[in-house]
Amino acid sequence: MHTVAVLLDDGLATLNRAVGVLRRRNVPVEGLALHPSGTAGVSRMTFVLKADAVTAERVAQQFQKMIGVRSVMVLGGEDSTTEARR
Amino acid sequence: MSEKLSGAEILCRGLVDAGVEVIFGYPGGAIMPFYHALPEHPRLRHILVRHEQAAAHAADGYARASGRVGVCVATSGPGATNLVTGLAAAHMDSSPVVAITGQVSRPMMGRDAFQETDIIGITMPITKHSYLVQDAAELADVVAEAMTVAAEGRPGPVLVDVPKDVQNQKVEWHGTPAPRTGTRGRALGSIEDGVRAAARLIKGAERPLLMVGHGAILAGAYAEVRALAEKTGIPVITTLLGISAFPDGHPLHLGMPGMHGEVHVNRAIQNADVIIGIGLRFDDRVTGNTASFARQARIVHIDLDRAEIGKNVPAAVGIVGDARDVTRRLLAAVEPRRCDRWLEHIRSFARPGPASYRGELSPEAILASICDASGGACTIVSDVGQHQMWVAKLFPYRHPNTHITSGGLGAMGFAVPAAMGVHLARPGDTVWAISGDGGFQMNMAEIATMVQERLPVKLAVFNNGYLGMVRQWQQFFHEKRYSCTPIWSPDYVKLAEAYGIPGYRVKDAAELADTVGRANAQPGPALVEFVIEQEANVFPMIPPGGSLSEPIESAPVVGAAGD
Repeated sequence: MHTVAVLLDDGLATLNRAVGVLRRRNVPVEGLALHPSGTAGVSRMTFVLKADAVTAERVAQQFQKMIGVRSVMVLGGEDSTTEARR
Repeated sequence: MSEKLSGAEILCRGLVDAGVEVIFGYPGGAIMPFYHALPEHPRLRHILVRHEQAAAHAADGYARASGRVGVCVATSGPGATNLVTGLAAAHMDSSPVVAITGQVSRPMMGRDAFQETDIIGITMPITKHSYLVQDAAELADVVAEAMTVAAEGRPGPVLVDVPKDVQNQKVEWHGTPAPRTGTRGRALGSIEDGVRAAARLIKGAERPLLMVGHGAILAGAYAEVRALAEKTGIPVITTLLGISAFPDGHPLHLGMPGMHGEVHVNRAIQNADVIIGIGLRFDDRVTGNTASFARQARIVHIDLDRAEIGKNVPAAVGIVGDARDVTRRLLAAVEPRRCDRWLEHIRSFARPGPASYRGELSPEAILASICDASGGACTIVSDVGQHQMWVAKLFPYRHPNTHITSGGLGAMGFAVPAAMGVHLARPGDTVWAISGDGGFQMNMAEIATMVQERLPVKLAVFNNGYLGMVRQWQQFFHEKRYSCTPIWSPDYVKLAEAYGIPGYRVKDAAELADTVGRANAQPGPALVEFVIEQEANVFPMIPPGGSLSEPIESAPVVGAAGD
């Protein structure tokens, strides 16, 4: 299980596109959360992936190419979800 | 200084200011305000296609041949959905295209209005980015940004969806914004480390190879790749989309790898100890089974797109950067060396081409006649299938970027419309669109576009009466059951006549030189049908998912029951 946390513009098209990356690359999603980031116009999406570290890193690189994505973090291990929300 | 302009007018001005000279399109209800404004801008030459798919392929062909952004326009609904195949082709092959689509007016959106489709949603996975313009005040910025996004970094298609009422909306216009550059620039700090590591690997290698892909063409890295090969003596492989990045006939050029690559090329890969990949993505048609691909090789992977490094094959050294820039740095970092024994070893793997290539009206003879007629200086646009492999393997490409094909998507029907775009990008050059009888019939309506718009593309149809590549797979892997692959064709000479262009049929090799020469010399479009052997195959062939080490070199014997 790996967690990828993405800071991105909060438009519907951007959120849709981000979820589409996972569907397009056929990566199983265990959990998905969307929060305001604290900065106006920017959301934080947190994906818990049923995937190994290599796959999570590959997904992160696909996110990084997306226009509207501000930053991407890959986190592993048990406390990753808490980590991502900090 | 500002004035009030409609969204449609701003759209046109944005395109003109971005340097656009030609757009491929088809009008319809939701894009009518744009078409109303268009005649005020004679700098924008509009090519009226016969199907929106052709507009997208033509814009793609224009982009590939010119290195500039190709633009296509369609209405909402069916107009927009017809663009999909062309956008997917541009996306797979990293071609900079901007598609402008009309959309139903904002109050109608989401209500399943007439000719409403969610084209943004439909094209999301096959575009680099897309914009739904909700206010005409955003249009100037969006057009400028779309042109930049399509071209910068790894190029790709961008879609701009403009509701009809936004096209009619009048807003203050303050001029076209300055072009945005470097918006997605990456830190390139690690390039030097990568280049040093690559140079060390090259120095220590006994059996190195250069594998050159489309990225080298997109970056215009011809001189750098050639200089690197000549300084190090490393043999060069060009992928399907890398063909013409390195001159055919150069003593270091080996040919194309992969499913239909020559035996000596694939064996070179399987025996190499270092592979320097420049601007390619190690697609499955190149690698075969990745588990058995180049097992002995450490791979240096140079690509502009970080996500490509390690995606399909593991890279010992990954360098994220422009192919031309990185190759230039690598050239400076490597020491001169030679690889004569290795090259000799690779040459010893080479086999003569199959007999079917050397027969009377063989693919080789046809392509030689096209080469002769055009003085070897034409651009070849191929379709998809058997002829595509023959055109890739047998035509001598001596000039950069003179081979254009739909590689990643493999879209039949690509050649005829894409060749229109190639012609407009290179009006002084001869352009041959080479198709099979299947692919040609998919988009042959575009002959009308060529006639109306005076686009002197030369059309070649390899007619074997089959969907030849599928038939070949049926012969090899499906007990020779030719299910739904025999395909009837119209009389192509009469078809040409109906469109008012010269048409020729070649059945005999003795007619080749004269007929192809006459077609090539036509001032306008011309069509030549080549009636070729019905069941010729493309050899060698790596079975899908197979290892590059195990090519099929002759047709399997089929049991009596299957015959």
